[in-house]
Amino acid sequence: MVMLSELLHYRVTDAQGGNRKLIDLTIRQLDTDYPPVTHIIYHSTDQGGERVLPWKTVKGIDPAARQIEIENNKQAKDIDTLGQAVRLRRDMLDALILDLQNRRTTRANDLWLEQEDQELRLTAVDTSGRAILRRLVRSRSDSRDRRALYDWKYIEFLRGDPRAVKAGAPYHSRIVHLPPGEIAHLTSTIPYLHAAELLSLLPEHLAADTLEVMSPERQVQVFEELEETFALQVLKDMAPDLAADIVGRLDIKLAQNYLNRLPKAAGKQIIDLLKYPANTVGSIMTNDVVTVPPQLKIEKARSFLREKLKEPDFVYFIYVVEDQPPHKLRGVLSLRQFLTAEDEQTVEEIMNPYLLALTPFDSPTEAGYRLLNSQLAALPVVGKEGQLLGTVTIDAAVSQVAPRSWRAQAPKVFS
Amino acid sequence: MSENSAPQGLEPVEELDLSSLPDRPSDSGDSLRLNIRGRSVTLRRFQRPPKGLLRWLLILGPGLIASSAGNDAGGIATYCQTGAKFGYDLIWVMVLLTVSLAVVQEMGSRLGAATGRGLLDLIRERFGINWSLLAMGILFVANSGLVVSEFLGIGAAAELFGLSKWIVVPVAAVVLWYLVIFGSYAWVEKIFLVMTLVFFAYPVAAILAGPDWGDVGRGAFIPTFRPEQEYIFLLVGLLGTTITPFMQLFQQSSTVERGVARRHYGPERVDAYAGAIFSNLISITMIIATAATLHEAGQTQIESAADAAKALEPFVGNAARTLFGVGLMGASLLAGAVLPLATAYAVSEVLGVPKGVSLDFRRAPIFFGLFTGMILFGAVVSLIPNLPVIQWLVTVQVLNGTLLPITLIFILRLINDEQLMGTLKNTRVYNILGWGTFFLITTAVVVMLGSQVLSMLGVIK
Repeated sequence: MVMLSELLHYRVTDAQGGNRKLIDLTIRQLDTDYPPVTHIIYHSTDQGGERVLPWKTVKGIDPAARQIEIENNKQAKDIDTLGQAVRLRRDMLDALILDLQNRRTTRANDLWLEQEDQELRLTAVDTSGRAILRRLVRSRSDSRDRRALYDWKYIEFLRGDPRAVKAGAPYHSRIVHLPPGEIAHLTSTIPYLHAAELLSLLPEHLAADTLEVMSPERQVQVFEELEETFALQVLKDMAPDLAADIVGRLDIKLAQNYLNRLPKAAGKQIIDLLKYPANTVGSIMTNDVVTVPPQLKIEKARSFLREKLKEPDFVYFIYVVEDQPPHKLRGVLSLRQFLTAEDEQTVEEIMNPYLLALTPFDSPTEAGYRLLNSQLAALPVVGKEGQLLGTVTIDAAVSQVAPRSWRAQAPKVFS
Repeated sequence: MSENSAPQGLEPVEELDLSSLPDRPSDSGDSLRLNIRGRSVTLRRFQRPPKGLLRWLLILGPGLIASSAGNDAGGIATYCQTGAKFGYDLIWVMVLLTVSLAVVQEMGSRLGAATGRGLLDLIRERFGINWSLLAMGILFVANSGLVVSEFLGIGAAAELFGLSKWIVVPVAAVVLWYLVIFGSYAWVEKIFLVMTLVFFAYPVAAILAGPDWGDVGRGAFIPTFRPEQEYIFLLVGLLGTTITPFMQLFQQSSTVERGVARRHYGPERVDAYAGAIFSNLISITMIIATAATLHEAGQTQIESAADAAKALEPFVGNAARTLFGVGLMGASLLAGAVLPLATAYAVSEVLGVPKGVSLDFRRAPIFFGLFTGMILFGAVVSLIPNLPVIQWLVTVQVLNGTLLPITLIFILRLINDEQLMGTLKNTRVYNILGWGTFFLITTAVVVMLGSQVLSMLGVIK
């Protein structure tokens, strides 16, 4: 019903008239689709500077006279009482916003507010060039302008401050419904501080999945800006090989700090991977694999594996590993074999013992080609004593042999 | 794998004999002992940053390109004109400007690293749409003038090779447009950069021309001032070509593009410093070389590129024209592609419309329209018959100098914004140098505009 830019030329009047200029509107909560305006900020010469009034004291908006009518200004408070509230003009107008509907980044050239009952709600954002023109020449909007409006329901507003999330600033958080790949793609179009802010907004597991598919340079830039406890949780939720990729590129001091503070199990997985130098099979494998002892009956194995199958990203192969040290690799079961096997058979009986195996210091490119040529989903990596160290998945193989420019887009389905 | 006792895949995996497998990789390279949870572990994955000279060379990048872009067609014309007209007298300006340039460019890259955003983005967010439109307008006008300069440079270089500019300029325009939009530009940019290396000939030419080093020293460290209109005009031109609004924008956005984060900014500032020193060293030697040859010989006006090339004769003799032509061509092509591109990015940034060469005309009409329009404008205007080439080049630099204080104010305001910059906020020394530069330039511009008015009124000549 009214554009913010237009509203900002309005005066604030009560029964006595009064010479007050509207400066800004504030919103306290952003997590509804169309957030209501909570306060108005105006400049009053007789009250000494900027004052704040709650929206409920507003009686009405009069577009013809270009004024906002209030009951009185008795409830007016100092500007400092506003706290974390978002100021539409200062914070939101001209800010970078994500248009989730079109999966693009744009700027809020103007904001569209609609009056409903006694409330004024933010309902859309204008991203057109016409909005800029309108602000320049201070003309009023006409009905044709509505074409360039984007529903506020699908807009994510960012501040460019990664710490704002933990400080309790309000957010819309609609973005959490998008798949991680699309979120990662969106973050590649915004400045790194905004990207870190966006990531902080997500639940940890989604942030981990999103971070996994970002470009390597971006990963580090963004990760370093995350708040420490959040970063730790994200690192823990990531596939250990991808987490190791990030930790291996951090400042050594920072890396040491994180490795010390990670939960023991997750920390050990990452540290084990960091022992292999870059450019070896060890540096591209993951050690988050599902294993089962050979003598177990399938029926037992099912309950044994129920929990173990929940966590890792790669569950397509179950590796058969001896119970006793050195935990020699004996064979492999595909998930299909495992599901279709008879209850009374043992794992040993149905496993495939004829395996191709990689060794940790091989060249990763050769290993990549070998895996692609074998047309399998993964190949195990074994150590000196035949023990299982990890597995190289098809994702890792593809990103080894793909041209550099494709690597970022290479699928990361299993990790 | 050849040592395996059991052939892989043909015998059960448990029969593989891997006992000959090494305990550690053959080239164990960097290994790092870290104390984690009280236990010492050897990690080999960490890549230590390169040390020594290589480390510093890797940092060089945007600063060098941005500052070298200042030595484009307009820059060369201004420096040569300065040397021919006033000999060594104006070198002191360049010495002062080296400090200013280093400070201004460093602030640009610091803004980029601390915020991850471009200059126009920040102006829009902090000062609102009106100011950002003003900044955009300034950039647009200044850059449009510069684009014409670049195409004039391309035409002039063509003529040094005996080719007709009527053919070379349109061809260059089409080729630049095509390369930027359809792909292999990053590769071509390197060729242009290599071509500009020719300007390394200037330091050598300056030495071989045998200037009176005493005079050079006096010119460099003892400021002189002549109340002549052309002196002031060239002085502002020097300011304008050495420190350009476009260069600050470019420095900032390429720092962002490089992915420099605020936590790692420290050593990156060397890039801006090195770029400033390097490019001004070339500029100063251009002035010295022209002063020692043309000015000494009594030729105080430069009418064409061929005149300017004469300064290289003491060094390369008859090859001077060709060599100068190659350098001029490289510099002009480089800037001729970068300027329209940077302008299109900047304008789209302010307006919040889609941008990027990976899109197409339908999806990003403003971006592509601007880019195409600027190249077209540059090529067409540069081909206007009887356009006074050198005057145009120098005048555009003066225009750039005149607009400079406005962009500088934005930079200085932004970089002192604690909320935005955090610990990378300007220090006091930086503020003194930054505002000093601002006042130096503003004074020069005011004096120049004043003298123009006075001369129009017939008070001075």
